[in-house]
Amino acid sequence: MTTQTRRTLAAGAALLTLGIAGGALAQAPVKIGVIYPLSGNSATAGNYSKMALEVGAEVINNGDADLAKIMPLAKGGGLPGLKGAKIQLVFADNQGTPAAGQNQALRLISEEKVAALIGAYQSGITLTASAIAERHGIPFVNGESVAANLTERGFKWFFRTTPVALDFARAYSSFLKEQKAAGRKTDTIALVHENTEYGNSVASVIADQFAKDGLNISQKIAYSANSSDVQPQVLQLKEKNPDVLIFISYTSDAILYTKTMKELNWKPGIMIADNAGFNDPAFVKSLASQVEGLVNRSAFSAGKPGSVPDLFNALYKKKTGGDDLDDVSVRGLQAFLVLADALNRAGGTEPAKIQAALKATDLKADQMVAGYDGVKFDDKGQNVLAASVVTQMRAGKYVTIAPKARATHEAILPYKGW
Amino acid sequence: MKRYLLPGVLVVLALAYPLLVGDLPVYGRLGALVLLAAIGASAWNIVGGYAGQVSVGHAVFFGFGAYASVVVYTHLGWPPITGAPIGMVLSVALAAAIGVPTLRLSGHYFSMATIAVGELVRVLSSTSDFLGGAQGLGGPAMPRTVFDLSFISATPFYYIFLGVLTFLLGLTWMIERGRMGFYLRAIKDSERAARSLGVSAGRYKLYAYMLSGAFSALAGSLYLCMFGFVDPESGFGILISVKMVVMAALGGAGLLFGPLVGALILVPLEEFSNSLFGGQGAGFTFMIYGAIIVIIARFLPSGLLSLFNRRSTRHVD
Repeated sequence: MTTQTRRTLAAGAALLTLGIAGGALAQAPVKIGVIYPLSGNSATAGNYSKMALEVGAEVINNGDADLAKIMPLAKGGGLPGLKGAKIQLVFADNQGTPAAGQNQALRLISEEKVAALIGAYQSGITLTASAIAERHGIPFVNGESVAANLTERGFKWFFRTTPVALDFARAYSSFLKEQKAAGRKTDTIALVHENTEYGNSVASVIADQFAKDGLNISQKIAYSANSSDVQPQVLQLKEKNPDVLIFISYTSDAILYTKTMKELNWKPGIMIADNAGFNDPAFVKSLASQVEGLVNRSAFSAGKPGSVPDLFNALYKKKTGGDDLDDVSVRGLQAFLVLADALNRAGGTEPAKIQAALKATDLKADQMVAGYDGVKFDDKGQNVLAASVVTQMRAGKYVTIAPKARATHEAILPYKGW
Repeated sequence: MKRYLLPGVLVVLALAYPLLVGDLPVYGRLGALVLLAAIGASAWNIVGGYAGQVSVGHAVFFGFGAYASVVVYTHLGWPPITGAPIGMVLSVALAAAIGVPTLRLSGHYFSMATIAVGELVRVLSSTSDFLGGAQGLGGPAMPRTVFDLSFISATPFYYIFLGVLTFLLGLTWMIERGRMGFYLRAIKDSERAARSLGVSAGRYKLYAYMLSGAFSALAGSLYLCMFGFVDPESGFGILISVKMVVMAALGGAGLLFGPLVGALILVPLEEFSNSLFGGQGAGFTFMIYGAIIVIIARFLPSGLLSLFNRRSTRHVD
């Protein structure tokens, strides 16, 4: 070995030592794997949720002065409980198939070595992806899948923050009972739903709950969301003329129904839409003026100026170039914030510590970006404080009308339409 | 001696693959995924490749297998794999029911009929409570016994799939060299000529269709055991049928190893492009996937294996 090489080696070793020392000063970031539909049928929802989570991570890593007054984690500088480690989100596309969702979950766990997983929007994909996380003992936080069976599998690593279909059904039911008590007609109720997973499952849960609560569903119409004509369905409705109409629809069909109802000049006394299509920015932008007084539900309620949802909404608006947080993106963001809070309390990235911290989660309503009463998990991993608010379309915007504690406006009925 | 060198190396590689990638779970799983896709595409190859009856509705059989497995678990509490023979038997019966009227149709009309049946079954399955409706059904969440085949590692799946594929390819090889193989090729080249030579075209097409359906169903059952969930879209969706066709066509339809070669290229391509680009959310994966299919369709319409066959024919000359 020549002196020359020896000197080079020594210099190299010195540099290496410096590098290691430098690395130890800045904490390694905590990786969180996020599985969303970034392509395929639900790509829009997935990509909006992705932006919402990015906003969340930016707030924790870089801080936000206004939010810091309410949220301890918004001071910036990463997670104090992990010596200021920043959060790094690793996104994966589930392509709308249960197989891709599971494959990506395995990759995030074994290759990216993520500390925890968030996802995966569609219930079926959440089911397969979380099964892999369970077998590997990695926490999985779900923010938006509503299938009831997800929390009935006896999993120890699965946590769900979102309300489920039963919560929605209860919200409608209590809203209608209030209206009945106020003297409005709710004797006949029509349920119109698209005929894939979403429409079928929500419709059956609503039907069960209403039957228990003594509300009479007199008409049930299932239709295909791809149909290009809904005149027959609207004519059926017009003939029976129900007092209350409930839609469970996607976007293009929501648009079609709205237009056809106006053409055939029929409207019910109370019209309720189960979120989804009727909340899509594409629907709201073009047809809000045709559905004045429409009752809806949402996990997002902008709330009072300076509140957590209001401040996050401003940041999100900047990120997306003008879109407000909506029901889906806000539930994703809420799931992320719950996980970040647990990571911070865990004080380490060992899966068991994060799991224990998630179990001990106790977030209050004022910390919520979504319209929940808080976050607290039961033994099955379901958030028992999940709830949704009832909203109403007023001059192009949804405002909150129930429950009383969150309402910013009084309900105005009957349904006005166009 | 030299003749056996390459096949020998490939066999050893196939057997040793899980050991070679032992501590990389993603690659272990990739091997199993390739074999599973190859089973489905090879099953399709019997009727689509050898007999030239291009079915674009094989997801019907795949879905029957997957649903048979999940139904015996959901309604009877049996291990999902016990549904495999049930799915296969049902698929043979279904193939007979579909095949008798539709196999009379020629060319594109047969393909269209199979698409129609596939879509019909998908829609019907989404309205059936017994099949879990549009929400689908899940297999055992946690393994109860070893027969549930819920393994953390993909290695057991790899060897199960390898065994099934070997059996299927062996069977196909025997058919290819036997009387039925000649009949099927004759039907593919010209059904009218085959008939005039006394080949009972209708009967042999139906046999091929039933056999193909049975193994597609087996692929479906194995899929369910590995992924533990099926809904109408992932069981009966048209993309499943299309993937079977594309894989076989890419490698070489009507060639014994064509579907396997197709799976060896497409499955890793799909997985890697999704892992690398999927997170950016631009659907980039499918663009690459589509572009490669277009290129191959343009320059190698009879599949990649045709490259080698062309060369070997030249040798003979």
